[in-house]
Amino acid sequence: MESLEFVLQARIDANVLSQWIEAGWLAPHRTDTAQYFSEVDLARAHLVHDLQQLGVNDEGISVILDLVDQLHGVRRVLREILSSIDAQPESARHQLLAGLHQAMSERASDVCGPTQTRDRQAGQSF
Amino acid sequence: MAADPYMVLGVKRNASQDDIQKAYRRLAKKLHPDLNPGNKQAEDQFKEVSAAYDVLGDADKRARYDRGEIDASGMGRPQQRFYRDFAEGGSQYTSDAGFADFAADDILSEFFGREGRANIRMRGSDVHYRLELDFLDAINGGKRQITLPDGSILDVNIPPGTSDGQVLRLRGKGRSGMGGGRPGDALVEIEVRPHRIFTRKGDDIHVDLPISLSEAVLGGKVRVPTPTGSVTMTLPRWSNTGTVLRLKGKGVPRIDGSKGDEFVTLKVMLPEKPDPELETFVAKWQGVYSPRQAMEA
Repeated sequence: MESLEFVLQARIDANVLSQWIEAGWLAPHRTDTAQYFSEVDLARAHLVHDLQQLGVNDEGISVILDLVDQLHGVRRVLREILSSIDAQPESARHQLLAGLHQAMSERASDVCGPTQTRDRQAGQSF
Repeated sequence: MAADPYMVLGVKRNASQDDIQKAYRRLAKKLHPDLNPGNKQAEDQFKEVSAAYDVLGDADKRARYDRGEIDASGMGRPQQRFYRDFAEGGSQYTSDAGFADFAADDILSEFFGREGRANIRMRGSDVHYRLELDFLDAINGGKRQITLPDGSILDVNIPPGTSDGQVLRLRGKGRSGMGGGRPGDALVEIEVRPHRIFTRKGDDIHVDLPISLSEAVLGGKVRVPTPTGSVTMTLPRWSNTGTVLRLKGKGVPRIDGSKGDEFVTLKVMLPEKPDPELETFVAKWQGVYSPRQAMEA
């Protein structure tokens, strides 16, 4: 969709739109004459609007959008890894999961040893 | 019926606007689907909370709700698609900053590196344009020109029978390619303006044709507009309102050279001003006919 339809659907002003683009919050597809917005841009505009409703200021919005994008990037890769594990033969899958399980329990015992006692102390003091 | 917005936000009925805003923000932070991409239940709850806040967050609307002038249903936002529904699929916003450091020495480097590698030879990208056409121009075809920002002119051939939403592809008229890659295409999306009297369904044209009482009863020749000019059509006697007559081959041209049809729906019209002569005449009419018979039984 073009800018005009986009501002109607996103329910924002045209000058607000250009501010958001300038801030890097929205990155429409540009041609020489016009800019085109997709459903992703629309959903992202709704997110910005919701964040403003939550009282997040402009700097906060930039930080949140950046982290949300990173989180989605990580989720995407995680999903791809999981689906490629899923596509392995059963024996390979078991081996992978066993290795993963071991790594997680090793880390848990590394970390939890000292913290557990600290937690207990904290609990008593309340 | 939607839930009581006060209950949804967990505030008392006499809560201040400030308390309501705080309650909303507290819940929305926890429930916003885009801040909780892995939580599937969050979405419904968030919708409920924001619908409640749409009513109570605005002192005016809240007062009207309290007086019972509006209810909480239907106050929700129009269907909102959340960012998380798209973001994971990959878009211009996709970021690898959350894991780029893994790529250096892991077995996954190949996996992560995949997207970064530049193609030496690249086809130029497509460029999108939009072109608005009059209803009849789209049907009859013709030539149009789009002036590009650099002053050059793009000739667009409109084939006869072009329809609304159709995309015309002009090969090689997009951006130039890189490293010997061929240029992209220009994609022209057609938007057809509606017509005052014609409507189009597929390859057929539909038109309502008003006829007089005497034409309806006695039949005769009438002029009918078609996309290529008006033609004469013979009305049979007793042509009632709702009768559909077909003008073969007067519709939209198809690619194979054949044409759709025009369908003419008759509408019997009484004279606009009362006509005493007609009234006297009809009063004398002895005919018995109940057009509402089918509705009664």
